[in-house]
Amino acid sequence: MEHDERELQEFERKLRMAIARREAPLGLKSRVLAKARERRQAQRGRLWIWQRVAATLVVAAVLGGFAEYRHIEEIRKGEAAREQVLTALRITSRTMGRVQERLADGR
Amino acid sequence: MKRTMVWASMLALGVAITVAAAATAQDDLPAPSPIEKTLAERAAHVTEVTLDKNMLAFAGKFMNKDKDDDKDDKAAKEMIQGLRGVYVRDYEFDKDNEYTAEELEGLRKYITSTDWSPMVHERTKGAKEGTDVYLKLVNGQVQGLFVLDAEPKELSLVLILGPIDMDKIGALGGSFGIPKQAVKDVKKAQKEAGK
Repeated sequence: MEHDERELQEFERKLRMAIARREAPLGLKSRVLAKARERRQAQRGRLWIWQRVAATLVVAAVLGGFAEYRHIEEIRKGEAAREQVLTALRITSRTMGRVQERLADGR
Repeated sequence: MKRTMVWASMLALGVAITVAAAATAQDDLPAPSPIEKTLAERAAHVTEVTLDKNMLAFAGKFMNKDKDDDKDDKAAKEMIQGLRGVYVRDYEFDKDNEYTAEELEGLRKYITSTDWSPMVHERTKGAKEGTDVYLKLVNGQVQGLFVLDAEPKELSLVLILGPIDMDKIGALGGSFGIPKQAVKDVKKAQKEAGK
């Protein structure tokens, strides 16, 4: 009985010690905050790199697409101009042929 | 005295600009004639091709490109080299004589100025159809060709500005169907005009 009581007292003493308010070691707060800041900055840095890579890819794709569009558009216009020249020359040759026929008939 | 000099300089500059503008205008393709609009309204099928110097040069870049066997392209590229403009109108009508003699005369006058020499003027009495061929000769060199051909159901107008090499036109004979005789006739007329 006496033994139990002593054990209980010992337990209470340990419990009091465990829950007793103790001052944090000097500089702990600043170290914790610095660590948290470092982690945040590292995360932000990685994100920033990926954002830059993504932005560069988007800009490159837009510029590449625009250049390709311009190239295709130029080819389309060139082919249209070529067709126009050939049409003009065909009409010219047909007209000249008719002129010749008319002149030959008149002879 | 100083004031007179300034006025004289300004006058000289004005004259120079006017002369330069006139010279440039002579090289330019004409603006479409109002007659063309009325003809186009009546026509069943219209083909209009207007190519200035820049457009011809641009088209030239796309000719004979990876098409070594294309004779039309090769001949056309050689033909358009150095030209200042090509202006072609072709009107096809459903009925005969959908144009008037006044319209033909209007077109002729609109295109040809004093620099143009008539080479062929062919008409049949009582018929509207006919053919006109004009050459623009500068120092004995052909610098322009104008053809106005009126058929019962078709009216064609061809204006080519720039140095025209009749041998190159002759080269088109094979691929574009220009009769060799027509080229010979033009060359003969060119020689006669140069005399």
